[in-house]
Amino acid sequence: MARVELNISVNRSEGDLEIGVTLDDNVIVDARTIGTMYRGFEQIMIGRAPRDAMVITPRVCGICGTAHLYCSVLALEQAWQLPVPPQATRIRNLCLTAEGIQSDIRQTFLFFVPDFVHERYRDRPWYAEAVQAFAPFQGRVYRETLAITRQVVGIVALFGGQWPHSSYMLPGGVVAPAEPKRLLATRAIIDAAQTWVEERLLGMPLDEWLAIDTADAYFAALEESAHRDSALGLMTRICRSLDLHRQGRGTPHMLSFGGGCDPVRWGPGNASRLWPSGVYNAVSGVVEELDQGQISEHVRHSWFRPYSGGEASRHPFEGETVPDYQPQSDRYSWAKAPRYAGRVMQTGPLAELVIGGDKLLADLNRREGSGSWLRQFARVRRLAYELVQARTTVDELAGHLGEPHFVEPRPGSEVDGQGYGLVMAARGALGHWVSVRDGQIERYQIVTPTAWNASPRDSTGLKGHWEQSLIGLSVRDPDDPVEIGHLIRSHDPCLVCTVHMLGSGKRLHFDA
Amino acid sequence: MKTLFWMQTGACSGESLAILSAESPSIEQLFTLHGMDLLWHPSLSHQSPRAYEALLERLQSGEQALDVLCIEGSIITAPHGTGLYDTHRGRAKQDIVLALAARAGVVVAMGTCAAFGGVHAAPPNPSDCLGLQFDRQQPGGLLPAAWRSRLGLPVINVAGCPAHPHAMTQTLAWLAADLPLPLDGLNRPVMHFSQVVHQGCTRNEYHEYNIEETEPGGRGCLFFNLGCQGPLTQAVCNSDLWNGKSSKTRVGVPCFGCTAPTFPRDTDLFATEKIGNVPVRLPLGVERSRYMAYKNLAHDAAPPRVRDKKMEP
Repeated sequence: MARVELNISVNRSEGDLEIGVTLDDNVIVDARTIGTMYRGFEQIMIGRAPRDAMVITPRVCGICGTAHLYCSVLALEQAWQLPVPPQATRIRNLCLTAEGIQSDIRQTFLFFVPDFVHERYRDRPWYAEAVQAFAPFQGRVYRETLAITRQVVGIVALFGGQWPHSSYMLPGGVVAPAEPKRLLATRAIIDAAQTWVEERLLGMPLDEWLAIDTADAYFAALEESAHRDSALGLMTRICRSLDLHRQGRGTPHMLSFGGGCDPVRWGPGNASRLWPSGVYNAVSGVVEELDQGQISEHVRHSWFRPYSGGEASRHPFEGETVPDYQPQSDRYSWAKAPRYAGRVMQTGPLAELVIGGDKLLADLNRREGSGSWLRQFARVRRLAYELVQARTTVDELAGHLGEPHFVEPRPGSEVDGQGYGLVMAARGALGHWVSVRDGQIERYQIVTPTAWNASPRDSTGLKGHWEQSLIGLSVRDPDDPVEIGHLIRSHDPCLVCTVHMLGSGKRLHFDA
Repeated sequence: MKTLFWMQTGACSGESLAILSAESPSIEQLFTLHGMDLLWHPSLSHQSPRAYEALLERLQSGEQALDVLCIEGSIITAPHGTGLYDTHRGRAKQDIVLALAARAGVVVAMGTCAAFGGVHAAPPNPSDCLGLQFDRQQPGGLLPAAWRSRLGLPVINVAGCPAHPHAMTQTLAWLAADLPLPLDGLNRPVMHFSQVVHQGCTRNEYHEYNIEETEPGGRGCLFFNLGCQGPLTQAVCNSDLWNGKSSKTRVGVPCFGCTAPTFPRDTDLFATEKIGNVPVRLPLGVERSRYMAYKNLAHDAAPPRVRDKKMEP
């Protein structure tokens, strides 16, 4: 039996990612995900004015800063028990949706599909089509992706001034109101994006697309030329011809923090969402109610000092992040290992839509499991909901012109206390937990989607979701592990958010 | 044809994402029409990991010519100067940067992190971050202040958090054309850093007549109370709008001074430090007594449309 230990650095992910795998006769038998950078954002927050979180935390991540901003503002509003005017929540949702549209399109067509233009696939019947559509800087869909996403982030700029890295959500609302010029400019962008998605990505109108609610109906549509020849149709045909729907399942349990806050109901004591949150228990097949108290983080295999009380894990409100670099030990990552009631969770568009009630994805998930193709397919599926949501939100904003977008917190309301903010970022469940003391940030903990998905082993030795998903994968050429690229990119890694980390691939030693 | 290699160190990918928003030129124009050959970008390149390692080798040996080296992100030097908090295949990124910088025709720091240390270098600077040739405002970072690239240039600091998309693509297009690129005292290209953010802000008339907001969400100026650094921050944000649409100060977010080496400042970012009623830090180059005299008169001269904030910024 030929045993090979391989360390691969993965590009076209957001941030630095290395994967350590052990191959027995070209099949992965062990895997470790390793981020390679430690920045210490949570320490930078300590002692700062609470509202500074609106400036510092978006800068955790260049691709999902709006989601971080949204979480940080929700956390402080909860700590201070502040009401939020409905127009502010609508604008926050609109900007988060725009960022999601941007991310979903870019991740799919700039990061995921370019792998299909690989030399190895030169003899595949779809190769010429793939080159024509997906080749970096040359392919039609690639170039159009650059153009359309450039427009879409303009929505965030209209309300937030710029994308990425603005600070337009503040405790009490947002800085700029909806006014006709902004709304019409936003509409123009949404309309252009919708036309492109319908014509190029789906080959059918959005409502027709969203009406497809079973796997059989989808596969029938894939036989028809309009969808078959669309960018998504092509991606699906390629993925399925490479068996990506059977690979990379990982944990079947799913976590979603739900869609945007409900503008009308959201406020102190009310956590209504536009799209339900929940926890999909794959054993019972039931979506359970989300309880953030069930979230805890393990550091047993991370380069952090063990918790001072010797606990196996801690809730983020009690979190500690004290670096303790031990490269020669069995610790191998700066990422902590988040668990929900002790369970490994996957999160992302698939989790969001399965938990939210999309029948097509639920059916596909039931039939085939959450393979690499389905994860990627879910990302494009979500686009349709995002476009519909954005359009609805613009109409609602227009229907409530002149209503407040910001309510100044009453004097004395910025009290000491704790709060958390949870949103679905493009990559899945993102949470911020803050403690304020003496008017300053005392503690700040961030648990990112990629922390869930790319987590290392926990205190019980349980592997993280990606680690599980890699086991059993065949790798034809360890020098050019294309298969690992497909699988890992289908998880939409965002390591810049997650690491806490430092790591060194070549120091990894796996037990035989 | 010039070759370009883009590397991320302690980064959030903000510049890599921001540059996708550039339109004149766009990155696809830059890499197809401006004679800039993209050897590698971590988010966009599709060669295999093996090909990447081989490219790194050839660049370091000099076998592959390197004209422009772009670095995005703070230089992480912890722990104890080893740089092992930020590695590539076990090797400290700071060492790779040093090896590549020695070969590069010109080195461009993309963003405030690479230029000066940036947000990661804020207290307590948990990963001991530096800029490439500055440590916040002190000259000398990973590279000493006297260091010069193969073409005799210091590190070019395209500052900003993130850097403005056009500050990035226009600097690169200019370098691709071998045209001279004058730099300011912080080694930032003069063409993108001679203006202040205040220039072109649509709240200027409120500023002019001293109509200042005391809370967020309004139409007035943000300079006196809400921490805005626009009048003393050099950047094109209001003369070349973000995403072709707007700017932070236009919508009502204070400028945080993100192109300055001191970004982010240690004090409350949404408050203006003042002496009496006047900000401690005045618009760039302004004398305090004259400014106070002007401001005292300005408020009384405000026409009703300004005083009553009738104008949408």
